[in-house]
Amino acid sequence: MTDHQHTDVTLSHEDRAADSTTLFGFWTYLMTDLVLFASLFAVFAVLRGPQFGGASIQNIFSLPFVLFETIVLLTSSFACGLALLAAREGKVKGTIFWLCTTFVLGALFVGMEVHEFAGLVAQGLGPSQSGFLSAYFTLVGTHGLHVTIGLLWLIVLIVAILKRGFSRGNMRKLALFAIFWHFLDIIWIFIFIIVYLTGSL
Amino acid sequence: MKNYFHEIGLWPSADGIARAYVIGFILSLALTLIAYELVVQATFTQQTIIIVVALLALVQFGVQVRFFLHLGGERSSRERLAILGAAILIVGILISGSLWIMFSLNSRMMPDSEQMQDYMNAQLGF
Repeated sequence: MTDHQHTDVTLSHEDRAADSTTLFGFWTYLMTDLVLFASLFAVFAVLRGPQFGGASIQNIFSLPFVLFETIVLLTSSFACGLALLAAREGKVKGTIFWLCTTFVLGALFVGMEVHEFAGLVAQGLGPSQSGFLSAYFTLVGTHGLHVTIGLLWLIVLIVAILKRGFSRGNMRKLALFAIFWHFLDIIWIFIFIIVYLTGSL
Repeated sequence: MKNYFHEIGLWPSADGIARAYVIGFILSLALTLIAYELVVQATFTQQTIIIVVALLALVQFGVQVRFFLHLGGERSSRERLAILGAAILIVGILISGSLWIMFSLNSRMMPDSEQMQDYMNAQLGF
């Protein structure tokens, strides 16, 4: 596998129109996903208050742990951007390196989340304990599921780039993966601030 | 394929994108840490902290949309920005509407004791 393997062909007018339509369509899907997360945030906001004897939101989360999780995901998002920059320069090794970094950080994030969930369940604070905990596990779990699916997509993408280099199809997948990953980081910012930070006040 | 991301409209320009990613990363990191410190130090009243931290979340949303997703006033991103605006409108209605309905319902379900007494007198002959 050699570096600098962009062939100097530019996209034909039709290809360009087709791929920017794909980008728009994928973005539209992300916006419906945004509405899905908004409804889960609304449920959380409604249920976080009264627990009727169940666990309350304060003191069940470790803030330094969640801050580290946040920084891991943010760095992963940045690494994904660096992968696109390397792809622009036609550097296969660089792109693969940054995509692997994205993957490792994303996997660390999911691992930390699973660890946190397991800890809560072990303390008897599972999703069936109160309305607040149901809403919490659903919101954070749905985000975690998205990240997990993103990780599977990333494996497929890395293999595809190793096999076929920077073909048009691979460049398109890279672009779509990048906006998916950045989108998940944005959702996490709101989870971090609304669920964890203001929840612990 | 060199300018692919620019040609399909993902990047607003062919060059200068590295700077955007670095700026976005540093700003996001700083905004996250400021919000965290505000909550952990707890030097201000709870209400002040909640408002400031919520504003920091919105600023960070703007930063990431601009510097990571590269949406802005450019021709290439106008359509995606428009549908983002529509989605934000729906999100706003969904969240503020849910909170409004549920909390107003909550207060309706909790009459004060005088109202409760009147009701019991009228209905049950206490």
